Amino acid sequence: MRRFLLFRILASALTLLLASLAVFLMVRAVPGSIVETMMGQMGSTEGEAALRRFFGLDQPVYMQYIDWLSRVLTGDFGVSWRQGSPVLSLVFGAFIVSLQLALMVLVVSSLIGVPLGLLAGYLAGGVIDTIIQSFNVLFLATPVFWLALMLLFGVSALFHWSPPTIYASPGRSLSDNIVILLLPMLSLAFLQIAAYAQFVRQHVVEAMQQEYVRALKARGVPPKVILGKHVLRNILVPLITFMGLIFIQILGGVVVIESIFGLPGLGRLLVNALYARDFPVVQGALAMILVSAILINLLVDVLYHAIDPRLRT
Amino acid sequence: MSDKFKTTRRRLLLSAAAIPLVTLAGLTIPVAPAWADDSVLYGPSDPAAKQGGSLTVGSLIEPPSFDIYHQAGEAVNFVAPLMYQTLVYADHDGNPHPLLAESWEVSEDLTEYTFRLRSGVTFHTGQPLEATDVKYGLDYMRNPDNGTIGALDFADLEEVEVVDPLTVVVRLKKPNSAFLITLTHRNGSVVPRNWFDGETSRTELNSKSVGTGPFKLAEFVQNSYMRLQRNPDYWQPGLPYLDEIIINFIPNSAGMLVAARNGRVDMAVLVRPQDADQLKNDTSLTVQRSRSLNQKSLDLDSTYGPLEDERVRRAVALLIDKEAVMQAAISGYGQVLGMMVPGMQDRWGVPLDDLPNQKVDVEKAKALLAEAGHPDGIDLELRTIIGYDWMEPAALTLAQQLQKGGVRVTIERLDLGTWLQNFRAKKMGFTLNDWGTPPDPNILYYRHFHQPPEGADFRNWANADGSRLLDEGRQTGDDGKRREIYNEFQRLLAESVPTVMMFGSDHIVVVSDAVRNHTMHPIGWHFGLVKTWIDQE
Repeated sequence: MRRFLLFRILASALTLLLASLAVFLMVRAVPGSIVETMMGQMGSTEGEAALRRFFGLDQPVYMQYIDWLSRVLTGDFGVSWRQGSPVLSLVFGAFIVSLQLALMVLVVSSLIGVPLGLLAGYLAGGVIDTIIQSFNVLFLATPVFWLALMLLFGVSALFHWSPPTIYASPGRSLSDNIVILLLPMLSLAFLQIAAYAQFVRQHVVEAMQQEYVRALKARGVPPKVILGKHVLRNILVPLITFMGLIFIQILGGVVVIESIFGLPGLGRLLVNALYARDFPVVQGALAMILVSAILINLLVDVLYHAIDPRLRT
Repeated sequence: MSDKFKTTRRRLLLSAAAIPLVTLAGLTIPVAPAWADDSVLYGPSDPAAKQGGSLTVGSLIEPPSFDIYHQAGEAVNFVAPLMYQTLVYADHDGNPHPLLAESWEVSEDLTEYTFRLRSGVTFHTGQPLEATDVKYGLDYMRNPDNGTIGALDFADLEEVEVVDPLTVVVRLKKPNSAFLITLTHRNGSVVPRNWFDGETSRTELNSKSVGTGPFKLAEFVQNSYMRLQRNPDYWQPGLPYLDEIIINFIPNSAGMLVAARNGRVDMAVLVRPQDADQLKNDTSLTVQRSRSLNQKSLDLDSTYGPLEDERVRRAVALLIDKEAVMQAAISGYGQVLGMMVPGMQDRWGVPLDDLPNQKVDVEKAKALLAEAGHPDGIDLELRTIIGYDWMEPAALTLAQQLQKGGVRVTIERLDLGTWLQNFRAKKMGFTLNDWGTPPDPNILYYRHFHQPPEGADFRNWANADGSRLLDEGRQTGDDGKRREIYNEFQRLLAESVPTVMMFGSDHIVVVSDAVRNHTMHPIGWHFGLVKTWIDQE
C-alpha cells in the first residue's frame, strides 16, 4: 500500500509538471496578451513595450516558464496581472465556491440517483423501471444551461422571486448561501441523478444475472437485503470510479452555471482571466483543477483498496 | 508589433518638435462658458431630491481593475468618473464646463490653455488639490514609457507649467480645438502628485480610490460586486444624493432580466438593448432610452484583397441596408447613422440623405465590381468579435445583403484579444467594429483616419485629402467653420468608404420605481448617478 501510494504520488507530480508546461505554452500560444486588453484601441507602441517589460512578457517563453516554476516551487503563485491580488487566495476563494456547489450536487444526486438505479435495476422491465429510465433519458439529454435558464425564469414567473445576485459565503450567511446555491445545484443535479441512476441500473441488471444473487434469492433472502447488502457492495468499486469521474466533470462543468447565476467560482475566474489574458491567474486556476483531479483519482484508488479486499496485496 | 511600426512612431516623436506651426488666419477664441453655473455638471439638478439611501446597479460588464492610468476599457470608464475627476466636464451636448478647473483662458492660436483650479477641493487621501497634482497627472499620462493608456491623447503637449498653487498652464505643440473635450475623458483624471511612484500604488487602486470624485471606492470583489460610498468631503454642496452605490456584476442577460424583475437590482444597464422588450410589460420598472455616442460599424481595410480598390468598397456600401442590419442586431433600439455618431449628429453631422452611397443599389454595385475587374463577384472574410452579441445577427444579415451583389462572405469569429492585436497591427481586414467617442469630431476621426505619423489610420485608408481636412478641423476654433470642414470630411468618408457607420445603439437603462432623476450621459458613463436619488417612502 505504501509503495503504491508513493508511486502514485511521484507519478502525479510528474503529471503536474508536464501539465504545467503544456498549460504555460498553450496560454502563451493564444494570440494577444494582457497588454492589448489593457491598452485597448488607443494604446501607443512605446506604452505597449513598457507594459510588456512590466509583466516580463519581453523575456523568451522558456525564461518566463523557468521563472514561474521556480517561484511556484517555493509556493509563490504570483499576483493577478489585473488586480495585483495574490493568485493563490483568488484561486482558493473561487475554488471553495465551486467545491461547495460540486459537493452539494454530488451528495444530492448520489442520494437520489443510486436508490433510483437500484430500484430500476431490480425491477428491470417493469413499469417503474420504464418511468425511471424515461426520466434518465430526458435529463441526460437536457443541456444544463437550458435547464438553468428555465429554472431561473420559471421560479421568477411562478413565485416572483429570484436568488440574491451578490454571492454570500456560508460564513457570511448560511441561509443566504443555501438559497443562492439552490437553483444552481438543482440545474446540475438532474443530469447527475439521471447519470447515477442509469449507471447503477446497468450494474444491478448485470449483477442480478450472477450466481450469487440467484443463490441468495433461492435462500429466500429479502430483496432489500440482496440489493442493499450484496449487490450494492459488489458494484461499489465501479460506482466510486464513476463518482470520481462525475465529480471532476461537475467541477469542470460549473463554468456555465456560475456564469448564469453569477457565482464567483473557479470556472468564472478562469474564463474571465483567460479573456483578459491574466496569465498568472489562468495558470493558477488550471493548476488547481489539475491538482484536484489528481487528488480525486488518488482518493478513488485508495478507496478501492479499502473496499475491495482482493486488491490488497 | 512589427519593428517597422515602432520606427515610424519614434520618428514621429523626434520630428514633431521640428514641424513649424502652421500659420493660421481668422482664429477666434471658443465662446467662454458661463463660469458660475455648476448646476449643469452631471446632468440636471432636482430640487425635490432627498439625501441618503443605497442604489444597486446591475452591470453585465466588470472592470478588470481600477488602475485608471494603465487599464483601458469601457467597463472602467463607466464607473471611474464617480471616483475620479478631470479639469473639464462635457455636457450632454458636448459643451465644455469647468469641473476641477474653475475657469480657463485659451490663447488665440489655440496652443495655450490656462486653468484656474477650484480652491478647497481635497483628494480621497485628504490632501488638497493643487496645480502640481494636475501637472503630475498630465506629465505621467503623456509619457508612453509609463505604459499609460492615454499617451497618444496628450502627445501634442509641449509642457505643463505650474504658475501658482491654483493656476496651471498647458502648452500644446500644435493648435487643438478639441483639447478641452480631450480633457473630459478619464485619461485626464487628476490623482495626487507622485501617486504612481509607490511600489504597490497600481494595485492599491483596486481597494481604495484616490481621486476627488463624489464617491469613494469601499470594496471591489472580483467576479461579484463593487461598493462605492458617498465622499463626505465632496466639494459640490449637497452632492451626491446617494449614500452608497453597489455595482453588481451579473455576467449574463438572463440573470440580469430576472434580477431586475424581482427587485434584486434597482437599476440595470442593458448592453443588449433588445432585452428591454422583455421588461416592457413590467409596471414596476421604467425603461429609459437615450441617444449615445456609440457606433456599430463595418470597417474596410484598404490593403485587404479586393478592398484596395475604392470602387469595390463603394460597391459594398451600396449593398448595405443599415436599417435592416440594425433591426436584426439590436431590434431597432438605435439610430441609423450617416457618417457621424447619434449624439453628435444634430450639431456636426451631414443628414443621411445628403451623403453618397447610402441607398441600396444592387445594379450599381454590380457594375462597380465589374468595372473593378470582378464581374463574377468577390469573396471576403467578415470578422466578428466573440462576446459582442449584436455582431452575429448583424454579420448574417450583412452576408445576405452583400450576396445579392456578388460579394460572398464567410464569417470569422475572433476573441477580443486577437481582434485587438489585429487592429493595433493595422490588419483589421473586413470587420465589424463597436466604438464610442468623447463628443468632438476631431477626437472621433483624427486618430482613426489621419495618415501616419500624426494619426494611426487603422484602416490603411491613406487619404491625403482626408488628412488635410482633419488638420484644418483641428486647427479651427470657430464652430461654424469647423462644421463646414467636418461636413466635407463626412462626404469624403461616404464617397471613399474606409468604413460604413451603420448604426449607434441607444442607451437602455431599466430603473425601479424608487429611482429618481437619473439621466444617462450620451457617452454612457455613469455621470448621472451623482444626481440620482432614491425615493425611500
